[in-house]
Amino acid sequence: MIQFFHVYKQYFRSNEALSDINLSIERGEFIFLTGASGAGKSTLLKLIYKEEEPTKGQILIDSVNSTLIPPGRLHKLRRQIGIVFQDFKLLMNRSVQENVAVPLLVRGERRAAVENKVNSTLALVGLSHRKRYLTSHISGGEQQRVAIARAVIGNPKILIADEPTGNLDTELSIEIIRIFEKINASGITVIIATHDLNLINLFPKRIIKLDKGQLVLDRPGEAG
Amino acid sequence: MRFLRRALQQSLANILRNKSVNFLCLGIIAFTLLVPGIFGFVSYHLDRYIGRLSENIEAIFYLREGVDEAGVEALLRRVQGSLLVRETGFTSRERARAGFAREFPELEYILAEFPESPFPASVHARFRPDAGGIVAIESFIQDIRRSPLVESVQLNMDWARKIATIKRVAAFAGMFLSAILLVVSAFIIFNVVKLNIFYRREEITILRLVGATGAYIKVPFLLEGLILGSLGGLLACGLLLLAVRAFPLYAPAIHQVLRQMIDFRVLPPRLFRELIATGAGIGLVASFVSLRRFIKHTPG
Repeated sequence: MIQFFHVYKQYFRSNEALSDINLSIERGEFIFLTGASGAGKSTLLKLIYKEEEPTKGQILIDSVNSTLIPPGRLHKLRRQIGIVFQDFKLLMNRSVQENVAVPLLVRGERRAAVENKVNSTLALVGLSHRKRYLTSHISGGEQQRVAIARAVIGNPKILIADEPTGNLDTELSIEIIRIFEKINASGITVIIATHDLNLINLFPKRIIKLDKGQLVLDRPGEAG
Repeated sequence: MRFLRRALQQSLANILRNKSVNFLCLGIIAFTLLVPGIFGFVSYHLDRYIGRLSENIEAIFYLREGVDEAGVEALLRRVQGSLLVRETGFTSRERARAGFAREFPELEYILAEFPESPFPASVHARFRPDAGGIVAIESFIQDIRRSPLVESVQLNMDWARKIATIKRVAAFAGMFLSAILLVVSAFIIFNVVKLNIFYRREEITILRLVGATGAYIKVPFLLEGLILGSLGGLLACGLLLLAVRAFPLYAPAIHQVLRQMIDFRVLPPRLFRELIATGAGIGLVASFVSLRRFIKHTPG
C-alpha cells in the first residue's frame, strides 16, 4: 500500500512540482497517472522510489515512512519496486539476458537460478528469441520489453513505469499495456505515468490526474 | 565469497574495458614506485656495508693510572655485557710495552730508558656486524668513556661515520622524492577511478535503482585501485630487477667505484614485498578517496 500525506515537492528556486498531494494506492491496483508535461507525474513516481525527497509531507510504503529510510537501507525499498523508465536505462553494450539479470545479480542470487528466472521472464514479455542479442541491436519496442522484464524479474510488490509507451506506436503501446495487465494479474501494483489519453481510454483503470503539481482527478477504475 | 568473485570479475572487466588509460596508469605507477625501489636498494646495501665496517671498528679504552684488578674486571664485564660487542680483551701495561717492542724493534732503545712501562693499560672492543649502526656504537663508546676508570678512547670509525652520513642523506632524499612520487601515483589512480566512475555513471544509476547495495557498487572500484596499485608495484619490481642487472653492464666505470658498497647481485625480497604492498596501499586509498568524492554525484 502506498500513501501520500500532504506531500509537497519544490525544486531549488522553482515553482512547486507537487503541492499538497494526498492519495492512497492499494496493493494490486492498476493506475494510470496522467497529466500534461510538467504536471509532476515523474516527480511523484520518483518520490515513491525515493530518487527524490519530498519537501514536506510523508510517504508511507507498506506502512514504512520512506522519508525516514537511511541511504544504507535504500536498497531494501528499491528491491520492492520495479521501475520502467521512459528512456529504458538499459546497458546497451550488454546482452538482453544480462540486462534482465541485473536485479537478481545485485541480490547475490546463484547463476543457475538467475538463468531460469531470466528465461521465464523473457517468455512473459515475448523476448525469448532475443536473449543473446546485444540490447543496442534490438528495436525500441523490444528494448521497452527488456526494461519491463528487468523491472519484474525481482518479483517486486510495485511496478512503476514512466511514459513506457512514449516512444512507441499505438499498436505496440497496447501490446505493452497488455503485458502490464498480465503482470498486474499476479498481484503486483502497477502505476503507469502517461499523457496518452487514447491509451487510457482503452483500459478502464483507476486514473489519477495531476495539473501543475496538484491532484485534480482521482477516478476509480471499472470493475472487470 | 560469490560477492567478492563477482566484484573481482567486474573490476578486471573494467580494467580491460579502458585498456589504454589503465595501462598508461600502470606504467606511470611502476615508474614512480621504481624510484623508492632504487633508494630502498641503495639504502639496504649501504646498511650492509656499514654493518661490515662496524665489524672492523675497534675502540681502545685507555685506563687511568692505578686502576686495580677488580676495576679492570668490572670494566671488562661491562664491555662484554653489551650486545653490540663481538670481542673484547685487556692489555696490561707490560703487554703494551712488549707489543711495542715487538712491532718497533728499532725503537726498543727508547723503552730501555723507562724503568716501568710508559704505556697505559687498556681494554679494547670489536663490534658485531649487526651492531645496530654507527649511532648505537658511538653511544656505547660515550657511555664507557664516562667511566672514572677510563682516561681516553682511541677509535677508528671515521670512514664508517662518513658512510653513515651519506646513507642518512640518501635516505632523506629518497624519502622526500619517494613521497612526492607516491603522491603522484595516488593522484593518477584517483583520476583513473574517477574516469571509470564517469564512464560507468549510467550503470551505477541503474544498479542503485534496481536495489544494489553501496558495497556492491563500490567494491569493484576499490578492487580496481588495489589491482592497479599492486600490478604497478609488481611492474616496478621487474623494472628494478632489470635496472640492477643492467647497471654493471651499461655503467661499468661507476660500477667499479660502487661495487665495494653495493652488491648488484643481491636484491632483498623484502624490497619486492614492500613495493607491491606500497602500490596496493596507494591504489586502495586513492580509489577510496575518489569513490567518496565522486560516486555520490551519480544520480539515483
